[in-house]
Amino acid sequence: MSNHLIIGQYVPGQSIIHRLDPRAKLLIVFAYVLIVFLANNAATYALLSVFAFLFAALSRIPFSYIMRGLRPVIWVVLFTFVLHVWMTKEGDVLYRIGALTIYEEGVRQGIFISLRFLLLVLMTTMLTLTTTPIEVTDGVESLLGPLKKMRVPVHELALMMAISLRFIPTLMEETEKIMKAQAARGVDFSGGRFSERMKAIVSLLVPLFISSFKRADELATAMEARGYRGGEGRTKFRQLAWKRTDTVFFAAVVLLAILLCLLRS
Amino acid sequence: MKQRTSLRPLDMTLAAMFVALMAIGANITSWVPFLVVGGVPITLQTFFCVLAGAVLGRRLGAVAMTVYMFVGLAGAPVFSKLSGGLSIIFQPTFGFILSFIAAAYVTGWIIERGPQPASTVRFVTAALVGMVINYVIGTNWMYMAYKLWAEAPKGLSYEMVWGWMLVPLPKDILLSIVAGLIAPRLCRAIGRSSSASRPAA
Repeated sequence: MSNHLIIGQYVPGQSIIHRLDPRAKLLIVFAYVLIVFLANNAATYALLSVFAFLFAALSRIPFSYIMRGLRPVIWVVLFTFVLHVWMTKEGDVLYRIGALTIYEEGVRQGIFISLRFLLLVLMTTMLTLTTTPIEVTDGVESLLGPLKKMRVPVHELALMMAISLRFIPTLMEETEKIMKAQAARGVDFSGGRFSERMKAIVSLLVPLFISSFKRADELATAMEARGYRGGEGRTKFRQLAWKRTDTVFFAAVVLLAILLCLLRS
Repeated sequence: MKQRTSLRPLDMTLAAMFVALMAIGANITSWVPFLVVGGVPITLQTFFCVLAGAVLGRRLGAVAMTVYMFVGLAGAPVFSKLSGGLSIIFQPTFGFILSFIAAAYVTGWIIERGPQPASTVRFVTAALVGMVINYVIGTNWMYMAYKLWAEAPKGLSYEMVWGWMLVPLPKDILLSIVAGLIAPRLCRAIGRSSSASRPAA
């Protein structure tokens, strides 16, 4: 279980999308999220959809995994669609079912806006499915590097992210251990009255805090003993390399943006 | 040239531990199933968030919550229901994750203002104010999100969105009081009351 927890939804693979530089993937996804809002007619939405589905197909991730990522938002998409069909009262009348009248404009708006939402979620999900959290961290650190000049602690933020990723499974195991230790002392974690439940949860949380503070202290001591002094002059175990494919994919997004500007009405 | 920064290694490791604690708090029901009350799983996110402000101080508390948000967006399943990933931005509840930063900051700020060490009443008040901020920002964001992402027409009223949020309110008030009560003990445990005790950056 803890292995699943570190990598999250990441699906290991060797596809061309997996091997893209995390910086390229971040830039592509952010650019896509911005240009989605340019679309306002059938041609532009079709273009955006083709790009997103091609991206998904190239990742060679099984369709079922992608659907699993989309499942939490499917209700929001349906809700959006129904709301627009129900509320918009413009254009020709398509159907009349009792008191409910469905207008052409409503269906059009409903399809476009729920498709836009679906595309946004699909592209951001593709990033998560093909990139490990630690790769994303490296990519963000590198992309935000210029902000260091404005005294934003970019390196420190990335380091804290890396430390948390490392310690989340550890503290989760610790939680289980503490529960067993407290249960052996007679704490009931299976139910009881409300005040008993509160008492049980405090008996779990306080040792968890103490143990995490101890770990923080040990790790800080170890860092200082090894002469940690911030990001300046640091060498890295994981190196990022911008390749030609990264440029090609980035150019494709720029091309998409230009086409959208030309085709939108 | 040495990078000028006021984050010491201990600050960074403590903030990272709070991120891990938030991840556990968000999914505490996977360890302690009895916290599912009436079918609604209770999360301890608000609880750990106000404690981050109270124990780490306003600045480091806010930094810890920022890191929590980034770790989740980078794809680690640290949000409730073990979710994570960049697409969370488009979920209406993202405002709550964003509001943890402000909530931790204000909680720490209230505690640092008065005489040190702060009284228990001040700790509890600070925790409750932090929780209120969590709700106000989160709910307003949710309303805006439905308006923006879904372009919801008139049908969705502001009052309706607040109505949904009344359900988890009592447990969060209770947990904030508990957080305020155990915070002084935790502060003593890590041997410093807050970041106010060291020279200002």
